[in-house]
Amino acid sequence: MEENPLHPFELHNYIPISLGGLDISINKAVVMMWVVVALVTLLMVMAGSARKLVPGKLQSLAEILVDFIRGIIIDTMGKDGMRFFPLIATLFLFILFCNLLGLIPGAYTVTSQIVVTAVFACSVYGLSVFMGFLLHGAKFVGILVPPGTPGWLLPLMVPIELVSQLARPLALAVRLFANMTAGHTILAVLFGLAISGGLLIGWLPFAFTIAINGLEVAIAFIQAYIFTVLTCVYLGDAFHLHGHDEHAH
Amino acid sequence: MPPSQDPFYAGLGQAVRIGTELLAALIVGGGLGWAVDTYLLDSGPWAMVGGLILGAIAGIRNAYRSAQQWPKS
Repeated sequence: MEENPLHPFELHNYIPISLGGLDISINKAVVMMWVVVALVTLLMVMAGSARKLVPGKLQSLAEILVDFIRGIIIDTMGKDGMRFFPLIATLFLFILFCNLLGLIPGAYTVTSQIVVTAVFACSVYGLSVFMGFLLHGAKFVGILVPPGTPGWLLPLMVPIELVSQLARPLALAVRLFANMTAGHTILAVLFGLAISGGLLIGWLPFAFTIAINGLEVAIAFIQAYIFTVLTCVYLGDAFHLHGHDEHAH
Repeated sequence: MPPSQDPFYAGLGQAVRIGTELLAALIVGGGLGWAVDTYLLDSGPWAMVGGLILGAIAGIRNAYRSAQQWPKS
């Protein structure tokens, strides 16, 4: 049996809907996103409903997650970053559950669609720019000038900084998308080898798929973690203009 | 220790960051240069070449910057 290793990424329309030329069909990815949203909501509501002093299993899981996200925010943005907690917690939990649920055979990895990751990355970056202009006014343009730049270097430094700023959302989107896609392609290729190899040699790639599946679980966590950390870093940059550079030296 | 300061996670996070940091700046620089070439100036490949050089510098700078934030051990 030959199967295209990119087959798991195909979107099958369940209910084709077209609105004025826009394709807004209900496909695999959309259904998967609904499942993720429902699951996260269910988990958090159920965990939060008991509110015992000595937490049960579900409540301690939720507490660990919340503490983890709180730690990230305070490490990167400081105490005043906590006003973004709802946004960042939602982002982290959504991406984490998308990554993890995608590992279940037959499920769809929503984060392997660059549209999804690009929308997250652009809205996070757009929010950080918006917050920067809101807090600092026109002075926020100064983010393009690293502190301590001599005047004659400005024509060179401003384009470089502009490019490195614009690279942020791209890096954010591509990293998550590429890691998820690459991991699942490797799994699909190995499964294909295992099936075509038969019993004689097929056990070897099959053993590899088990090992790589374990690795993918770790990657699912790490990618969600990195996306969240970088969101916090970018938002923090908008808060304290050049604040980070001063602390670094 | 809070998990966000766990050296394992922090280190892995930094490691995965740096590669895409380099690549993304290069793509953005080259892409901006190409757009200037094609839609604004009709200046042959030169804006793209300049953009790629800027992108390379910006990418190395970004990678260097994120390496500066590594926890010192």
